[in-house]
Amino acid sequence: MAGESDKPNLEREPEKPKPMARTFSCPGCGGNVVIRFPGAVLSCACEFCHVVIDVTDSNYRIIEGFFYKMKGYEPFVPLGTRAELKGKTWEVIGYMVRSDVASSYMWEEYLLFNPYYGFRWLTNNGKHWNFVTMIKDKPSETKLFSGAYVFSASLYERKFKLYYRGAAKVEFVTGEFYWKVKADSRVEMSDFVSPPYMLSCEQDKSEKVWSLSEYVSIDEIESAFKLEKPLPRPMNYAPNQPIADTKVSSQISRMLLGAFLLLLALQFWQVCYNPETVVYSDAQAYRPNDKNAPTYTTKTFELTRPVSGVKLSFRSDVDNSWLYLSGELVNDDTGETYPFGETVEYYSGYDGGESWSEGSRTVSKFISAVPKGKYYLNIDSESGDFRTQTPQQYSLAVSQGAQVNGNFWWVLAGLLVAPVLSWIVAYSADSIRWADSDYSPYRSSES
Amino acid sequence: MIKLNCPACGAEVEFRSKASVFSVCSFCRSTLVRQDMNLEKLGEMAELQDDLTPLQIGTKGQCDNEPFELVGRLRVAYDAGAWNEWYALSGDKEYWLSEAQGFYAFCRPVENSAGITRDSIFAGKSVYVDKLGMMDIDDARDVFCLYSEGELPFKAQLGRRSFSVDLSGPHLKMATIEITDSEVRIFKGRYLEFDEFNFQILRRIDGW
Repeated sequence: MAGESDKPNLEREPEKPKPMARTFSCPGCGGNVVIRFPGAVLSCACEFCHVVIDVTDSNYRIIEGFFYKMKGYEPFVPLGTRAELKGKTWEVIGYMVRSDVASSYMWEEYLLFNPYYGFRWLTNNGKHWNFVTMIKDKPSETKLFSGAYVFSASLYERKFKLYYRGAAKVEFVTGEFYWKVKADSRVEMSDFVSPPYMLSCEQDKSEKVWSLSEYVSIDEIESAFKLEKPLPRPMNYAPNQPIADTKVSSQISRMLLGAFLLLLALQFWQVCYNPETVVYSDAQAYRPNDKNAPTYTTKTFELTRPVSGVKLSFRSDVDNSWLYLSGELVNDDTGETYPFGETVEYYSGYDGGESWSEGSRTVSKFISAVPKGKYYLNIDSESGDFRTQTPQQYSLAVSQGAQVNGNFWWVLAGLLVAPVLSWIVAYSADSIRWADSDYSPYRSSES
Repeated sequence: MIKLNCPACGAEVEFRSKASVFSVCSFCRSTLVRQDMNLEKLGEMAELQDDLTPLQIGTKGQCDNEPFELVGRLRVAYDAGAWNEWYALSGDKEYWLSEAQGFYAFCRPVENSAGITRDSIFAGKSVYVDKLGMMDIDDARDVFCLYSEGELPFKAQLGRRSFSVDLSGPHLKMATIEITDSEVRIFKGRYLEFDEFNFQILRRIDGW
């Protein structure tokens, strides 16, 4: 950025470059305090006794002496660490633990600095990370009850839903800050979410400041800071964590929609323009228990559709017996055969005060994709009725344009699996996300 | 451009703008006031702790395709902070580039400041600013000059006091009002991202 180009101005700045970092003795404990960016910050915390010092004051006045180190709250990287985040280099210069006044719930905030782009925050809230930018834009707030209740905010056509409202206070600080840190400085906070973003409003007596947070995955943090030990993973969903992983992508959604429309069109065509029609019907006698019953060959009939589903229907008035019909559908021109073997069986009786029945007197066989042409059937029959020798009869019908209705429903169900699953996952994730909020849309107003 | 010599050390002092009446000698730090072709020494400028600004006198940039160059700076402070006001020229036109904690706002003077007085300013109130419409008053505070350099259109000697008001509106619009004992000056403009200015001849910041 600088390089050759700032040569013409060297003569305008005759003074020697001053060393940037400044060192002094802590007015609280006498320890060595080093400020890395003295001209850009207003206060810093002594790393030994944790008092906050006014660095603009020539006597290094202590402005806050009430911060105590808390167990379990340590910066995850040393202050002074640099990392590339969102395309720019940032140096971690400050660390702050804040808490919700009502619940004492705590979270960490890291102050990042780049002399060209100013300050950013990296927050760690319940093991979830956010990159936070203060914004000069003013989101428009949607208010109820003449402004007393703000339940959503919008920024550039994006709508954010209220997730949290409360007061926050500072519990602990270390490092350098661009304002004068005070322990008693409470702010009213509101968070509005629209994953992966969150709009936050912090308001005190004199100022109302808006910031925009963007969810950062733990992997991104680990690689940006080149961490060797993995960071702890959260078990829940953050208010603004995107649930993109489980969502059916828009491309797949479009493909599924296309398949659904195609299926619907095919079904429509099948029902309206390719109805099932009977092309041949016949009846034939048979003699029960006749081992030597001859094979019956039907007359030829014609299938006129280019390719069609064929249904063979058999009916016989069997009574507590069975009739097994087997054979093949034969193409008269090519000799190609389609075998079948179906049993018509029907049993009924009266047992223990209840009548019962089982089986059916009709049975059908579906043969798919039969080309047009002349066909006939060869049918062998075998009967299991041992009570009679008198000839019986079966009837048969051949239909073209037959279809298996179940196919439509099975394909439809198959198409719905992915969207339904992803909706369930997204819905449950979203309701888990809102579980910690007092403003959850998943909670009824009575509770 | 007017070229004069510093009455204290004899070094050349340039005035790029006819409106500039004040300059700090870049060699001996004398604060100089200009009356036509006369330069008079007022006092001396203090040293400034490196505030890590990437800008410097001579930095070039552009806003809405209008190129400008920074020719002077005023660093103002209040009880809880400080920021830079850079005096920028584009030909004869005067602009101000305000720089605070990495936020940059580019604005120009508003001719008509009628109606605004210190008594009409309260934080939280709205004020009508020339053609921008109603603007919210975000901050109003007493400030003083901590440092100045280059050429400036008013006497920006150390400790110069004024009352500064920050206003903002929708779509990153901003305005500032500066009230001194003798005048009310209003500037209007908008916030821009650092990269939008396409800055050149930036100051080298060690280690960055």
